[in-house]
Amino acid sequence: MGAGSLRYGPAILVGRFVRFLARLRKPGGGSAIPGLVVNRIAPGYLTRTLSGFPDGLIVVSGSSGKSTTTKMLVAILRAHGDEVFTNPSTANISQGLTSALLERADWRGRVPGGVAVLEMDEGHGAVVMRGVDARLVALTNVMVDQIDRFHDSEMVVSMLGKIAGRASEGVVINADDAALERLAARLAPGVAVHRYGVAQRVMDASPRGLGYAETAGTRLTPEAGVVVDHVEGRRARLVDAEASVDVELPARGTHYAVDAAAAYATARAVLGARFDVSLAADALSSIPAVFGRGERVTVRGHEVEFVLVQNPASYQLNIDGIETGTEQVLFAIGSDVRDPSYFWPVDASSLGRVSIVSGSKAHEAALMLAYDGVEVDRVEPDLAHAVDDFLAAPAPTRGVKTIVFSADAMRRTRAHLGLTGADE
Amino acid sequence: MTHHASGFTIVTLVPSLLDTNGDAQNAAVLAARLRWAGHDARMVAVEERGALPDRVDAVIVGSGNDSTLEPARERLLTMHDELRRWGTEGVPILGVGTGWELLSWGVETADGRTVEGLGVLPGRAVPRPTRATGDVVVRSPRFGHLVGFENHARDYVQAEASPLGRLVSGIGNGRDAGQEGVVMGWVIGTHLHGPVLAKNPAMADAFASEMAVRAGTTYEPGERAAVVDGYAEEARRAQLRVAGIALPA
Repeated sequence: MGAGSLRYGPAILVGRFVRFLARLRKPGGGSAIPGLVVNRIAPGYLTRTLSGFPDGLIVVSGSSGKSTTTKMLVAILRAHGDEVFTNPSTANISQGLTSALLERADWRGRVPGGVAVLEMDEGHGAVVMRGVDARLVALTNVMVDQIDRFHDSEMVVSMLGKIAGRASEGVVINADDAALERLAARLAPGVAVHRYGVAQRVMDASPRGLGYAETAGTRLTPEAGVVVDHVEGRRARLVDAEASVDVELPARGTHYAVDAAAAYATARAVLGARFDVSLAADALSSIPAVFGRGERVTVRGHEVEFVLVQNPASYQLNIDGIETGTEQVLFAIGSDVRDPSYFWPVDASSLGRVSIVSGSKAHEAALMLAYDGVEVDRVEPDLAHAVDDFLAAPAPTRGVKTIVFSADAMRRTRAHLGLTGADE
Repeated sequence: MTHHASGFTIVTLVPSLLDTNGDAQNAAVLAARLRWAGHDARMVAVEERGALPDRVDAVIVGSGNDSTLEPARERLLTMHDELRRWGTEGVPILGVGTGWELLSWGVETADGRTVEGLGVLPGRAVPRPTRATGDVVVRSPRFGHLVGFENHARDYVQAEASPLGRLVSGIGNGRDAGQEGVVMGWVIGTHLHGPVLAKNPAMADAFASEMAVRAGTTYEPGERAAVVDGYAEEARRAQLRVAGIALPA
């Protein structure tokens, strides 16, 4: 039995036909167009289908870490034998969600799956969730993120509050994020609050903090939730009142350990007595390396590290994570960053030297790097040209060739290099 | 060329609450340009009065959120006497966004709050029907063409006699006044957020020159500044091109 209803049959057929047409135009490509069409001709489809999963709906949202947390949570639930419907991370707004549902729907619009785990964009989630009931809502954090989109972090908190307000059973929050703690204090009575966070020494090991708009003054204890007790490279230890487990992260970095704690705490809340600590730990450890963030690939005979920059916090953490003295860095900021002002508080001085600065915001980026004391060898706004020249240069004597890019510049780079995932 | 033992000190006030858009980094821009010119210069982040250094050569007050207007005002209020004195003495002060608004007579928010300002600059901030977001170009008699980005929920009124400049593009102070910012001596308020001094080197150098004159020395932009200003020039051009704005000759 799945979610859906006979009344949407005609709309589903139209949606599938549109998807077929979209595929003819762009073979292999996913598209939001079918979702757009179905949302127009059958506006209730998304709401009704999301509410119709027999084992309920789990929503993951927040400024950053939601796609990793979603992947981890889905892996843990599947390891427990649950049939899970989930959305690809790029389909986390209304049209994309509908398209993702259509992708799996039968002719009546029914989607197989007992439980749905959906990553939801913090901006669109409040609208998508109108009229939809979730069992649990897991929130990752509130960061100074995409200010040109949301204007300020308070707006993000208010949108997340609307999403959290749809949770009937419980909300899972990051206890180190003061804004989320305040949000949890305003939930309706009877809605459980589950928490995760990091131990003080883990917090201390990130001298600039974890990037939350406002960090809580106190740390969570294992009695009160799932605590990241220790992080070293790709290994992390999660401790709660029940158990202590070691997991292997998809990439090095404390933020991945926090994502693992979020998924672990949420899975425990979903599964209740069925939660198996070792199944969860194995599932977490088997998550493949996350694409674009600290990902290593071999292209044109060179080992290349890709570093994705999505917001000031991830920018700082990822810059700090690049080995000091890395000789060849390509730094590319695309048109997705309309106004790079909010990246200025980030200290990129540890890069020392950047070989090429590229992307449509190349000169803005060069300006920012120069005031951080970074030497810029060359500014080449044409990204394809920059990537070609960067890879044509001889291998570095120190470190690997490292490409730091914004999401848009990442897509263009991957497409240019013919790498998979360029158009997901 | 160093004029006094400790060199130049640029303070940025309450950056924990007033650096949402990287405006506080304007202090780092001034410090870097002075160093490139061969001077000693440092940026000092000051959260409350007790942390103020003995000598202050320039002041940056950046932009924050509406939810932190009151706490930011409380902290600035502890330095009210200093802000008035600096303003009177001619220490360059740059207020950006809500930082500027807090230096005004007062701020009225859309939800009906009125936050009393520090009264260092004339005028007040009043709600506008829609948020103003986008590229701004201002023709300033003192600093030439200023290029930047604005993102604010309020207009600025009652300071029409002393704007920073006339708008070439953008909303600026709003109310169809065609003006942006406010200036009183060397106290300057602007909506141009982020690193406005990096993007507008002429304005940065006017600040640096004034600081040097006040300290009894001189300022000539360093060689490094010429390279970096080349990036600024290209960034300005790219922004104007994307925004479809042609600068008048």
